[in-house]
Amino acid sequence: MNFHWSGRFVAAFATLTLSAAISVGADLPRDPDYDYDPPVPGSYALPVVKAAADGAVLDSNGESVNLRDLTHGRVTILSFIYTRCAAGKACPYATGVLNQLHERSVADQSLAKKMRLVSMSFDPEYDTPQRLAAYAEAIREEKAGCDWRFVTAKSRAELESILVAYGQTVDKRPNPTDPQGPLYHILRVYLIDREGRIRNIYSSGTLDLRLVLADVKTLVLEEAKLSTQ
Amino acid sequence: MKRPNLSQSRTTIVSRDLLAALAFACTLSLGAARADETCSSPYLARLEGQEELVYVWTLGVEGLGDGVDKLVTVDVKPGSATYGKVINSVSVDGRNEAHHGGFTDDRRQLWLAGLENSKVFIFDVHTDPAKPKLMKTIDNFAETTGGAAGPHGVYALPGRVLIPCLSNAKDKGGRTALVEYGNDGNFIATHWMPTKEDARGAANAQFADGYGYDARVLPRKNALLTSSFTGWNNYTRDFGKLTGDSEAMKNFGSTMVMWDFHARQPKKIFQVPGVPLEIRWAWGEKHNYAFTATALTSKIWLVYADDKGEWQAKEVAPISNVKGGVLPVDISLSADDKTLFVDSFGDGKCRVFDVSDPQKPKQIYEKQIGKQLNMVSQSWDGKRLYFTSSVLARWDKTGADNEQFLRAYAWTGKELKPAFDLDFTALKLGRPHHMLFGSTKIGAARTVASRE
Repeated sequence: MNFHWSGRFVAAFATLTLSAAISVGADLPRDPDYDYDPPVPGSYALPVVKAAADGAVLDSNGESVNLRDLTHGRVTILSFIYTRCAAGKACPYATGVLNQLHERSVADQSLAKKMRLVSMSFDPEYDTPQRLAAYAEAIREEKAGCDWRFVTAKSRAELESILVAYGQTVDKRPNPTDPQGPLYHILRVYLIDREGRIRNIYSSGTLDLRLVLADVKTLVLEEAKLSTQ
Repeated sequence: MKRPNLSQSRTTIVSRDLLAALAFACTLSLGAARADETCSSPYLARLEGQEELVYVWTLGVEGLGDGVDKLVTVDVKPGSATYGKVINSVSVDGRNEAHHGGFTDDRRQLWLAGLENSKVFIFDVHTDPAKPKLMKTIDNFAETTGGAAGPHGVYALPGRVLIPCLSNAKDKGGRTALVEYGNDGNFIATHWMPTKEDARGAANAQFADGYGYDARVLPRKNALLTSSFTGWNNYTRDFGKLTGDSEAMKNFGSTMVMWDFHARQPKKIFQVPGVPLEIRWAWGEKHNYAFTATALTSKIWLVYADDKGEWQAKEVAPISNVKGGVLPVDISLSADDKTLFVDSFGDGKCRVFDVSDPQKPKQIYEKQIGKQLNMVSQSWDGKRLYFTSSVLARWDKTGADNEQFLRAYAWTGKELKPAFDLDFTALKLGRPHHMLFGSTKIGAARTVASRE
């Protein structure tokens, strides 16, 4: 199967991946957008926002899956995306951060075993399981590491109930040929604990790899603490 | 329209007003895609183009109209047949000391808070922005939050709102908290302001007073800054009686707190005497500073990162030399960080400062807006400013000085020119307080725009 990803998306993602590789290699230094030291994992609380909603989805093999099964049992990073998005600081950026997390998990057995990544499309008419499989193949650089699932909705109706439950708003842009893509959306990435509870919500202003890692490790430490009590 | 010079002929005045209004309205095309309020949360989806609506959270006045608090919508879309007019009003239950509010980050909801009974009214402003619809009321705020009371602002964060409070349900004093609710209206967390006894590791714990007022974030520094006012016992009291009570006057805030935003942990407490109120972070990519104004001492203060990256606070300019002060209340920083508008309740003036050098603000202009003055909202292009008059139901002036208005002006860079004037008493609406911009055209958050 051969899909042609938009030049804008590939360029945006390549830039992010390159900067990610440098950042990860340099042990995650500050950058102008995130010019601070992240908090020490476990030194702060992540209060429960609400329960992560369930819903029927299709994975990239076309198999039916309950979203609940992808948001329980591991610390999950759930990112709502659409593959036609070409806004540099939206879906390509979020997918770039997930890719960095995935790369980190290759060398970190704790992350590999306890973290899961989920990229869910809100553009089911275009993002078919076949397209998502090709998308995953194009961007996922490591085969090892933590579980990273790419899913889409079975139907527009089932998608809507999931989006409403998560608070992910999506609108059609007035201009369907907008260079940033045909859909307008708030960037949303969710941190979900192994009990299926949302513990943080990131947007582009807070989707800092170092913060996400600190949060994931905070939840892993919390789990370890609870298991020893 | 306010007409201070009564010696002029009506024809002349009307023509001048009309011209000013047209000039004000015509800034839309120049400001396209650079609109919105300058003081809004960086996490908030921004308006595309000029604001079309101004939402005004308005205190009810007994015997005036229906007498209850209401969300008033004013049409400010240039060319509209109802430009400068009230086009909608939604009354809520009772008088709640309507004060401040804010949007959720997707700008679909407008949350409006009542200081007196801690109710929060959530409006749908997405389905029909010109006709907001009340969709939910939080009426168990103190019970749910563990005793926080007096919800003040509503500040958009990703998927949630941050509500800095003024008081607590236990003793109704100034000990208070920051509260978080999800966009669904579900309670998330309460973070109590640091005190001397419980500073939670913050530096300068000896200054901690536990008061709260504003809360604003500089995302790229992970910095949350808060300010301080007073508790329910004081803000619901008659202003004259309060100022005559020397013991009660001791119960005002004199601190600001810098927090680790992500961890929600207080890191450093600053001594800022005289009630620091509104906080305005600069927008420039390397501008690591925020302004505030102190109500009781009439000073501009700067909170800034020094050469070592340490946060510091210092007084940088007086606001007038009027003996006893002028009670500065709201401030508005232009999007280019060069101009600071300072409203003073005491003398009803807006003073404009050149803050190009934030360490050395210089007053460049002042304008008598009314006999009393509180809030100011500025468009992103810096060309339109909107002013309202009310501070608190029991603190507003009385008699002829109790003007209640929304007044719009065009800022030319050198002076404020009147655009339109709405008399909220004559319209039987009440005391207008916080203003928020609305539109049918919504774009991405400022944090996205700043990095594209």
